[in-house]
Amino acid sequence: MNPGRGAERKSVSTYFALFFLLLFFVLGFILPRGARSLVIQMMVFSILAMGYDLSLGYTKQCSLGHAVFFGGGAYGAIFSILYLKVGILPSLIFSLLGGLGLGLLTGLISVRLTEAYFVIVTAIFFSVFHLLAMDMTYLTGGDDGLSIKLPRLSLGFVKFSLYDQVTNYYFVLLFLALSYLILKRIAESPMGKIFVSIRENEKRVQFLGYNVYRYKLVAFVLSAMFTALSGGLYALTLRYGSADFFSFYWSIMPVVWCLIGGLGTLTGPWIGAVIMSLFQYYVSAWWTYYMILFGVIILLILRVSRKGIVGYLMSRRWT
Amino acid sequence: MAPLNKKLLETVSVTKRFGGLLALDSVSYSVEEGEVRGIIGPNGAGKTTFFNVTTGELKPTSGKIFLKGEDITDLSPYSICQKGLSRTFQLTLVFPEMSVYDSVWVGVNLRTRSPWNPAVPAGRIVDARRKTEEICHWMGLWEKREELACNLSYGDQKVLEIAMALSTEPSVLLLDEPTQGVSPKETDTIMEVIERLSKHMTIVLIEHSMDVVLRLCHVITVFSEGRVIAEGPPEKISKNEEVQRIYLGEIR
Repeated sequence: MNPGRGAERKSVSTYFALFFLLLFFVLGFILPRGARSLVIQMMVFSILAMGYDLSLGYTKQCSLGHAVFFGGGAYGAIFSILYLKVGILPSLIFSLLGGLGLGLLTGLISVRLTEAYFVIVTAIFFSVFHLLAMDMTYLTGGDDGLSIKLPRLSLGFVKFSLYDQVTNYYFVLLFLALSYLILKRIAESPMGKIFVSIRENEKRVQFLGYNVYRYKLVAFVLSAMFTALSGGLYALTLRYGSADFFSFYWSIMPVVWCLIGGLGTLTGPWIGAVIMSLFQYYVSAWWTYYMILFGVIILLILRVSRKGIVGYLMSRRWT
Repeated sequence: MAPLNKKLLETVSVTKRFGGLLALDSVSYSVEEGEVRGIIGPNGAGKTTFFNVTTGELKPTSGKIFLKGEDITDLSPYSICQKGLSRTFQLTLVFPEMSVYDSVWVGVNLRTRSPWNPAVPAGRIVDARRKTEEICHWMGLWEKREELACNLSYGDQKVLEIAMALSTEPSVLLLDEPTQGVSPKETDTIMEVIERLSKHMTIVLIEHSMDVVLRLCHVITVFSEGRVIAEGPPEKISKNEEVQRIYLGEIR
């Protein structure tokens, strides 16, 4: 095995990210309206997928509670715009705070649990919050949801409006790029390496002098915050939020994206989100039971490589 | 009741019960600085339990454990490791999908100024990099530094585990059967590594193979059924009748 393979392995993922960011950037100009709104969705989902990867891919915490953070982030943005009359960017800060708060609340209770128990407890959190959101209609609007009027986004003396789809597109793209850069930075930092070693062997890390639970909590909360950011962006894009933002879909889809894209690769889950969104969009149009096909595709991809698409490409040698 | 000066690690009548089974029966043991100690005994004698109790994986039913005079009995494994007690495991615990270099790096990182740093690429922390490289060279893992731990031979994994334990700068290193299940050729490599280490470190070594212990250790302790039944220099232990009966007798 040639030395320097580690560097190559890393760069496959980076090239993927650059390629996609560039592709999204160009597509923003040329796509028709309908397709552009689909790509906006994909980009929002990509942030969710990457955020989730920090939990499942980096520290092996298979959470089914991320819908809580997605919904929390969405309502963070909606409430702050409705009641506090804040601008777009501050509303996203409220999203992040929502993720931070809910992440700490659920994380402090669940990170000490081992695998199956962790999955179950986070799933319980999801169902509790989903029920609450459905029931407290006076607050959340229940199934009907709440609509918001977006204030203008002012940066210095330039003003933008997210009602303009192209602006909305590049606004989301900007956050996708930022999220990627921040997460990549974290992944390459000492903290990121400790996350990976926890995934590899939690017990050994404990005996190397690290308080594993603290690191798992940090990973979980960071993951919650990126999920919340994604929820906030989704609410701003739709200018709407409902109890549906807490639904099981937002817990289970990130798992699927991460699995087919490749765990612990950051860009893998991203690609998973893109592929699955395209699939869902086109196949659901002609076949109602497309979910069955969905499952088959996941199985096929995992049959070829348990590491998912990007994981597979990364594990091959490029010489 | 802090123990006296040079004792690095000391256990005071440590007892561990698993239900009705008495795994450790008031074991009092102490290691002085610079010593290389061996622990031998038949299967189920409580050797590994002794390590598990001293490193905090298990809490003793009664008794006290001191490291450098400080009571560590109730501390969790990670703080015991931070205080300078590091160990390897009988069934190797490595990071399968991580490279040798990264595995060693994780331990080295513990002693850097901000091990939790989320903002600086790990490769840019020069001190940690230099020390990791040094350990890789020293342990003979340099050529294999880019290999994933799961692709190493079992013997190399054992060496890697020692390297990882070493990377946290321990004052006492506990090695749990470092040559178990390893081919004779690799056993020699591992023994050579431990021999080199023993010139700089305080080591406690659990071993099945009498060759290894007799060659490397200054003092040998014999465990049987959770008790220390003999302790002394290698010459004395190999002549001890009780030891020959319960330990060597089984081999012959």
